Amino acid sequence: MATSRSDRSASLRKDGGQDRATPPFRRILIANRGEIAIRVIRTCRELGIESIAVYSEADADALHVRQADRALRIGPATPAESYLSIVAIVEAARRSRAEAIHPGYGFLSESAAFAAAVAAAGIVFIGPPAETLATLGDKLAARRAAVAAGVPIVPGLLMPVGDPSLSSEALEEVGFPALLKAAAGGGGRGMRRVDHAEQVEAARALASREAEAAFGDGTLYLERLVSPARHIEVQLLGDRFGGLAVLGERECSVQRRHQKLVEESPSPAVTPELRTALAESARRIASGVAFENAATVEFLVDADGNHYFLEMNTRLQVEHGVTEAVTGLDLVAWQIRVAAGDRLPPEVLQVQNRGHAIEARVYAEDPHDGFRPAPGRVMAWQMPAGPGIRVDAGISEGSLLPTEYDPLLAKLVVHAPDRASALARLRRALEETLIGGVQTDLSFLRWLLDEPGFAAGEYDTGLIEEAWVDGPPLGSDQVGLAAFAAREARLTLAATLTTFAGNRPERPADRPWAAMARREAVERLRSR
Amino acid sequence: MSELQAVVAGQPAAPAEGWQFEWSDRRLGIARISNGEQAEVILVEGSGSRWVVTLRGRRIPVVVRTWRERVLAEAEIASGGTGGQAEVRATLPGMILAVAVKEGDEVHEGDPLVTVEAMKMQNEVRAPRSGRVGAVGVEPGQPVAAGALILRID
Repeated sequence: MATSRSDRSASLRKDGGQDRATPPFRRILIANRGEIAIRVIRTCRELGIESIAVYSEADADALHVRQADRALRIGPATPAESYLSIVAIVEAARRSRAEAIHPGYGFLSESAAFAAAVAAAGIVFIGPPAETLATLGDKLAARRAAVAAGVPIVPGLLMPVGDPSLSSEALEEVGFPALLKAAAGGGGRGMRRVDHAEQVEAARALASREAEAAFGDGTLYLERLVSPARHIEVQLLGDRFGGLAVLGERECSVQRRHQKLVEESPSPAVTPELRTALAESARRIASGVAFENAATVEFLVDADGNHYFLEMNTRLQVEHGVTEAVTGLDLVAWQIRVAAGDRLPPEVLQVQNRGHAIEARVYAEDPHDGFRPAPGRVMAWQMPAGPGIRVDAGISEGSLLPTEYDPLLAKLVVHAPDRASALARLRRALEETLIGGVQTDLSFLRWLLDEPGFAAGEYDTGLIEEAWVDGPPLGSDQVGLAAFAAREARLTLAATLTTFAGNRPERPADRPWAAMARREAVERLRSR
Repeated sequence: MSELQAVVAGQPAAPAEGWQFEWSDRRLGIARISNGEQAEVILVEGSGSRWVVTLRGRRIPVVVRTWRERVLAEAEIASGGTGGQAEVRATLPGMILAVAVKEGDEVHEGDPLVTVEAMKMQNEVRAPRSGRVGAVGVEPGQPVAAGALILRID
């Protein structure tokens, strides 16, 4: 290792404080894609930092490639050979002479091996040190760390399923139903519900393969299913001098497949006492490890208001925008600054949260068919705007959604003085949003606002499974309107063809999708 | 063209009355419908007889057919379907990870047939009904397109 982390940042640091005369780094490589890459690019631009994007073959035309100052191709569409390739990304950073790497979320963001490789190349990893990632990235080690810090954890195993020393009694003791989880996991992937101890073996095979494919590690552990439960997380920001900001909670109980769809802050379920308790637990966990940068401590809260540590994610979360709205802070900017060795100033450490924020994630998924991914080409693309609305999207009109990656299309974050006005604002935002070409969860999101439990702020992680299932059946009014609209569309089209067909040859500009398809076909032929 | 028939979910559907329809952007399929009291911006995509109307975020496929198209479609149904075979097709583009059956195997409805990975999710494709597995058209590691034939059950 040529220079240690702190030596390097000390040389980059102007005054170690918040009044910077120079940008924290000259050039940052963003080891991610889609909306989060664009999110980081935006902050880089504001801080006067040059942004370097990387992309796989599937993303050559992606928005993040166009928005960055420079973009480097790192490999084929398969994540393992591009966005998950440590070698390819470190090499790209070397080639572009990036001083730091922002990993975004997902992909390599919590990989200790990646953080170590980046540091070994003399580049700053924007995130916690590799050792911290190793401890917290292993969810089993994180559970042991929480126990050591005196923080309550979800009842369950402290060793992997399949460990030779694991007795069948210990397995029974977990209590069922239970959840099989990937030790290297996160984001709900590789997670399976098991109702009896005898089912563990069968569920293990599939869950382990999924974990292996997603994280490169098939190790699983078992945790009792807390139900009903609310999923509530606490946002942390820390510097290397022990400064730790607790930036409030996010309520994340609207989930399908254990993955979040809607998040809000503050949580309608959190009392001032619970807020203090959650903050205290989060602080204890962070103090028990060498923590710096941004992290989220996730908890389950049961019906009696008891909280249990779930995991600590040592990276930016998808839903960080909710906290940015209520705190007014740019979390990415602070990630970059603490990585460069800055101290968190009092205005960050003692920030007062303001108002209520809600995020709705727009996915290319069919909520009427088990939230099955629904890839395709996005046609119409109209995003909401106006007071209190933020849209983070990684695509635009005409974008083809690669099947290799997450089907997240956009995040709508609304901010208003209170929950009622935030809900009204979200309703307006959803009404303004139009996405063509692919089925999205917009129909679900619109339903959610009218769901009595959600509207009242009284909901838990079972909401979608219990109240939505596959959504209400098509009503006769919807069928009638759809039939009417389609008939009118065909009639107007037929009328146009009769009127203009003779004297107005179709120009390619009138049919951009056809033109695009032609172009792609030509490119395919060329590349043979 | 007044004899156009609309079909939603396999059933003839009566078009709503008292509404106005106008295109906002025909190229992108954005339209506005109103009935004097309410107005909605919707998406109408398609051509010929096949349309998809997106209403409040939900995509609703609608077949709009002329009398001639209707007669042809009904004749096709009358001539008989697949003759007792069930075809198992990929619903999403993805990659085949595992194939649990081979030609000639007896399967029961709900038995796992293949595991497909699509959009980072592993999904088990199960037998739609009981029967004997016919030719298997895929092998592990093979990418499949949406709609690709995986196997037949006779």
